Amino acid sequence: MATLDFYQAGRSRVHGWNPVTKLSLSLTLVVTAFALPVLWWPVALLVLVLLPAVLASGVQRRFLATMSRFLLPVILLLFVIQGLFYPGGGQVLLTLGPLSVHADGLLFAARTALRLVVLTGSFLFLLLTTHPGDLMTALVARGLPPKISYVVSATLQIIPAFRQRAQGILQAQRARGLRTDTGLVSRVRALVPLISPLILGALSEVDERSIAMEARAFGSTARRTSYTVIPDSTAQRLARWLMLLAALTAIALTTTGVVS
Amino acid sequence: MITVDKLGYTYPETARPVLREIDLNVPSGQFLGVVGPSGAGKTTLAQALAGYIPHVLGGEVTGRVEIGGLHVVDTPLPDLVTRVGMVSQNPFNQISGAKFTVAEELAFGLENLGVPRQDMLIAVREVLRRLRIEHLAERSPYELSGGQQQLVALGAMLVMNPDVLVLDEPTSQLDPAGSRLVFEALGELRSRDITVVLIEHKIERLAEFADRVVVLVDGELRMDGPPGTVLAAPELVEWGIGHTRFTTAAVRAGGRWPSGAALPVTLDQALAGFGGAR
Repeated sequence: MATLDFYQAGRSRVHGWNPVTKLSLSLTLVVTAFALPVLWWPVALLVLVLLPAVLASGVQRRFLATMSRFLLPVILLLFVIQGLFYPGGGQVLLTLGPLSVHADGLLFAARTALRLVVLTGSFLFLLLTTHPGDLMTALVARGLPPKISYVVSATLQIIPAFRQRAQGILQAQRARGLRTDTGLVSRVRALVPLISPLILGALSEVDERSIAMEARAFGSTARRTSYTVIPDSTAQRLARWLMLLAALTAIALTTTGVVS
Repeated sequence: MITVDKLGYTYPETARPVLREIDLNVPSGQFLGVVGPSGAGKTTLAQALAGYIPHVLGGEVTGRVEIGGLHVVDTPLPDLVTRVGMVSQNPFNQISGAKFTVAEELAFGLENLGVPRQDMLIAVREVLRRLRIEHLAERSPYELSGGQQQLVALGAMLVMNPDVLVLDEPTSQLDPAGSRLVFEALGELRSRDITVVLIEHKIERLAEFADRVVVLVDGELRMDGPPGTVLAAPELVEWGIGHTRFTTAAVRAGGRWPSGAALPVTLDQALAGFGGAR
């Protein structure tokens, strides 16, 4: 059964980086892309940092496929809406009957689109190259409350299991004559007999699941240890500090008006 | 050692007690079987022994339950889990969801207790070996069959090296192949110095494993003794528990079963009895 994560296993050096280093890289890319109001900056981040990292990790095919599936419609819509209806107006590049395409609108759309690409790309890179379990282990080791880690990990694993169960319930309902193949209305109607056994079943299992956690001393106040060792190095630690410095510098440059 | 002294229990927001005046002493290393009809309070008794009652489920407890001298009601659950572990019916619900591989899932409890990593590695390796699931170590617990998941749930308890293991119908939701896996593991447990309480409706299996069997009916202990005596008792039919196929065959055989011989509860006993009659 698949989990909800995007992780693509690999043996690249990027895969072996500490998850916190990759998370820091993603956050730095996003913070600087949004902080610096310079059009070419997100382009530089994409070309000089993100794409080389993606290529080095060997996940480019899935990266591009996922990016285009999620972002192409959004970006297209962004250019259409901002190009035609940007409130600032500015130079008119093209007139299509009652509609005009404005240069400022296109510029705004381009800036927003580039930032969106950096934002989505950075986190997709993190998710594609980092096993969620390793990410959670690394974050718990740095003080993330185990309960938050549990919520994330359990969601990634249990939701697909519930999806499987929903399929089973649906098949059982179909066997009793429920029609789900005759258009939208019948599909929506089919949700009612699906949702109640699914939700009630999940609620009835809460006690048992909570017992399973308590049986593993989840409520213990002892200082937790970790079975999994996440590799780290001095170079990565230094890189993380430099990334933090870069993000703070970008914020400082913008807030002080040095870059505008 | 388990000491249960006049245990009574009533679930929250209910008036009728589910357990009444239960007295039970189980010496260290004994394999105790518990049988009873549906609604007899077997699962409740298991949860009381494991400390989930009242620590997780609340309710009103009267009397005492002691595990190795620790009073269960007064002992915080994290301190109890190294003394007593429990495996319940549904394997899926016993997988924590917090971990992505079987080995990590087994180590989860030890991590929460702050056990040093080196000790964890040894304990996990040992349990994987003992349950013969080394090949599953790097698999996701959610990719396993029900029987394999139940072995992982059993392993997750064993890894904490408890003195007492309570198993509440661990094969009731498994297919025959899954049940066989679990019973093979239970056979392995018999050779260890661990006290096992097995609640099981497959009484033929219980007859093979248990040193002693108690019968719980309507929240009360009605019978206590060796499997050969308890599982062949005529009252079991009246209480809706039934007999093993071997006991039933001997009863139906009438005069062909040797007169005066105890009714069989295992295949070996049946073969010996019928062989003698031939």
